[in-house]
Amino acid sequence: MALTSLEACSVIAKHRDGNIVVTTMGAMNAMDALPPHPLTVACVPLMGGAACLGLGLALAQPTRKVFVLDGDASLLMELGGLVSVAQAMPGNYFHFIFNNSIQFAGLGNLPTPAQHKTNFVALAMAAGYAHAYSFSNKEMLAASLDEIFQKNAPAVIELKIAYEKPILGKQRPSIEMTDARFTRMGDELRCIRSTLGIPAET
Amino acid sequence: MSLPNESLSKYSIPADIFAEALVRCGIKYVVTVPDMLQIALHQRLDRAIDGIFSINCTTEDQAVETAAGLYAGGARAAIIVQNQGFYAAINSVRALGLDSGIPLFFIIGQFGREFSNLGQDPRRSKRRMVRMLEPLLETLEIPYWRLETHNDEENIEKAFYSSRERKGPAALIVGHFIGFEN
Repeated sequence: MALTSLEACSVIAKHRDGNIVVTTMGAMNAMDALPPHPLTVACVPLMGGAACLGLGLALAQPTRKVFVLDGDASLLMELGGLVSVAQAMPGNYFHFIFNNSIQFAGLGNLPTPAQHKTNFVALAMAAGYAHAYSFSNKEMLAASLDEIFQKNAPAVIELKIAYEKPILGKQRPSIEMTDARFTRMGDELRCIRSTLGIPAET
Repeated sequence: MSLPNESLSKYSIPADIFAEALVRCGIKYVVTVPDMLQIALHQRLDRAIDGIFSINCTTEDQAVETAAGLYAGGARAAIIVQNQGFYAAINSVRALGLDSGIPLFFIIGQFGREFSNLGQDPRRSKRRMVRMLEPLLETLEIPYWRLETHNDEENIEKAFYSSRERKGPAALIVGHFIGFEN
C-alpha cells in the first residue's frame, strides 16, 4: 500500500533538526499541515524549480542537510536538474521524489507522461547521484532514513505516493489562487537567510 | 561587413578585468549555461584562480533557481547566460526575481550580434535575437547596463549592486566576445 504525502512528510520531519527543507506540489501541501519551521521554503508557483533551489541552498550551507521534497511531475519539467545536481555533487543533498504518477493530485488527477514507464531511481543513478532508493511503505522509510543520511549524497529517495480523489468538477469547478501563493517563496527564502544569521545586505 | 581583429578588440573586455570585477563584488559562484561570447571568462573562472566556483546547469531556469538558493544560503552569485537563454528562463525570473524579490545578477551575452552592429545601438541590430533583449528587460522592469567598450567596465559592479539594492533582477549585457588572456 502506498504512502500518503502526509505520512511521508511526517517521517521526514522527524529528521529535519536544523536542516533546510524545500517543498513543492503535494509535498508542500502536506508540509503545510505540519507545524511551521523557519528553514522551510515552498517552491511555488514555480513547478520544476525545487531541485535547483535546493542545490543552491546546499552549496551555500554545506554543514546542513538540504531535503528537497519534489514531485514526479515537477521533476519531469526540469529533468536535467538531476544532471545539474549530480555535476555539483553536494554531499548534503537529499532529493525525495513524491511519485504519485499524476499531476494536479487531488484536483484533477491527470496522468503524468511518466506514469507507466519511467524509473526515477534509474534516472538518478544514470545522472550521477551517489545513491537512489525507493519506498512505498511508511515503516520501511522510517527505518531506513538514518542509514541513508549516513551514506554519500546526493541521493534520491523515491516515494510511491497515494492520492486523493479529485475535488474539481461540476460541483466545484474552480479554485482561486491566493495572493500569498505568489509571495510566500520570497518571504520564506528571506526567513531562511535571517534564521541562518545572514546579514541583510549580503 | 568584415572587421579585422584589431578593430574588434576595442569592444572586448579582457577576461581578467571582468573576473577581478566579480571578485570585488564578493561573488563566490557563477551559475551558468555557458555563453559563447563569454568563453574566455568561463575559461578564466574554470582555472579557479579567482576563488569563484562555476556551477554548470542544463537549463537557464535551473541557473536562476540555483542562484536564488545560493542567495538564501548567504552566497553571492552571478548568472551567466546568453540572450536566448534568458528568453527561455522568463518564468523563473518572474517567480524568483520579480514576485519573490530575490536579487539576481544576470550577465547576458548578445549571442548572434552581427559585427557591423558593434559600436551601434544593439536595438538596431538586424537580428531579432539581439534587438529584442533590451525592450524585453524593460517590459519586465529589469534595469540593465551595457558592456560595449572598456569605458563600460564599471557597469559590471553597477549592475551587481543594483540587483542588491532593488532586491530583484538586474542585468549586464555583454555586447561582444570577452577578450582572451595572453
